[in-house]
Amino acid sequence: MEYILHILILINIYIIVGMSLNLVSGYTGLISLSHAGFYGIGAYTAALLSLNFGVNFFVAIPACIVVAMAIGAAIGFPALRIRDDFFIIATFGFQVILFQVMNNWMELTNGPLGLPGIPQPTLFGYTFSSHFDFWILTALFAIIVYVILYRLTKSPFGNVLRSIREDDLFTQSLGKNVNQYKVLSFSIAAGLSAIAGALYAHYFTFIDPTSFTIPESIFMLSIVIVGGSGRLSGSIIGAVLLVSIPELLRFVGMPSSIAANMRQILYGGLLVLFMMFRPKGIYGEFGFRKQ
Amino acid sequence: MQFLLNGIIAGSIYSLIALGFSVIYQTTRFFHFAHGAVYTFGCYFAYLFSVQLGLDRNIAFPLACIATMATGSLCELVVYNPMRKRNATDLTLLIASLGLYIVLQNIISMIWGDDTKTMRTGEVVEGHPLFGARVTDIQIIIFITSIILMVLLAFMMMKTKFGKSLRALSNDAGLARLSGINSDRYILYAFMIGSFLAAVASIMISFDTDMTPTMGFNALVMGVIAVIVGGINSLPGAALGGLFIGLAQNLGVYWLPSKWQDTIAFGILILFLLFKPYGILGKKPQKQLL
Repeated sequence: MEYILHILILINIYIIVGMSLNLVSGYTGLISLSHAGFYGIGAYTAALLSLNFGVNFFVAIPACIVVAMAIGAAIGFPALRIRDDFFIIATFGFQVILFQVMNNWMELTNGPLGLPGIPQPTLFGYTFSSHFDFWILTALFAIIVYVILYRLTKSPFGNVLRSIREDDLFTQSLGKNVNQYKVLSFSIAAGLSAIAGALYAHYFTFIDPTSFTIPESIFMLSIVIVGGSGRLSGSIIGAVLLVSIPELLRFVGMPSSIAANMRQILYGGLLVLFMMFRPKGIYGEFGFRKQ
Repeated sequence: MQFLLNGIIAGSIYSLIALGFSVIYQTTRFFHFAHGAVYTFGCYFAYLFSVQLGLDRNIAFPLACIATMATGSLCELVVYNPMRKRNATDLTLLIASLGLYIVLQNIISMIWGDDTKTMRTGEVVEGHPLFGARVTDIQIIIFITSIILMVLLAFMMMKTKFGKSLRALSNDAGLARLSGINSDRYILYAFMIGSFLAAVASIMISFDTDMTPTMGFNALVMGVIAVIVGGINSLPGAALGGLFIGLAQNLGVYWLPSKWQDTIAFGILILFLLFKPYGILGKKPQKQLL
């Protein structure tokens, strides 16, 4: 039971990540490879705030969002001037830099040793300690993020994002400040993924930089792409599938030494297959094809 | 002086990787990320043939190069070519190549394990003194081989009909096809050349440092940076970019601890992307990349 709840918690966390990345990649059409970095910024901000200053989890969450949004905007503002595949390379570069900062800035992040002993969140004297508590907590946050993103994507703002995705020159000709919209969507996505990062840090009570690497970013991207880009429910499908299928491999009796490799082969292979045969994903509306 | 020398050696390796990457990019117009894993296959094949199967190195290394070329070509034949037939864009190809990179790298981990492998014989050779610095034999070999390969590649691209066809294809694919160039076949050739250069670079580097399944990632990253810094549309630019990055990284050690080497490289990349996106030697293409 604990085990199943653990998987469900992971699914909830990745649903938040997937939906937020979908805002950038699926709705705005910008493939970003630095999402694991923002997720990591959320995790580190939450961990450092609670370890060094004893800040309550629920107070730290807005702080994580603000920090990640600010860094997202700072990165997005220059990077989004670059087009298509060069933008991907730039986000790739920022991802490596973010990782290196986490890994090398010993004084702040304790480097490769990681940060142990992150306290469990408390609210009015109640401590979220059991798996079930955490499942409720992550589910609540997933619902909040879903509602925020749902409202955003159905709003005029979301329509502008979609039209940027289909044809950004045309959108510009309608008098929209395309760059500003791109930066906004990039930084909102960064802020929302920081929520997932903070949840991750407080759930595992230990973080180190290896959780926030390029393969992790690619994993997040495959959640969006396999599930379906341009639809929030697609990311939910993607997170459920990609988190749970590798766990099923464990039941087939696969030794844990190659299970980690098989997990990566699985999502890498799915990424290739979906790009080959169904770029829209299982339930998406955008297939990365501009006219 | 030692930093300068290290920079040149590292730079010549980066140049080879960047050249291979650039040959592929220029004919296909997308970033072939899986090239990093193909590169790693290079030295693992060499390890397989020379250490595990015990073949003589003169046979093992050419075999490893051929096997690596086959791997690179398989990427094109199995994944990219069918995708292109289905109207893939460079964006979908790029995403697919990310997935392909993950798959190939994990196949290497599964076959050979995650631990560090080495082909070195073990004895530590003291380097030869040169201008107040020290170079080892393998570093000299790396440098000379890189120069030879670059000259050969330049000759092939500029002087032979084959090279002209490749360049025609990269200039204007539609027009090249109209003049009777079989684009599928030439793209395959480009993958072979690129993978060959990667294999040579990877085998040489595995004598200087050791090998791990993830080594290709770093190499690929440096290759991409070198290509962009040097000029995305220019082969000499790729070579120059590699040298530039190698020097910048190693000279940067003067001021910053060596753990920040990659950050230096990426800082350079981002500066170039922002202010000079077509690199040192690259020209702005006439058709805007819209």
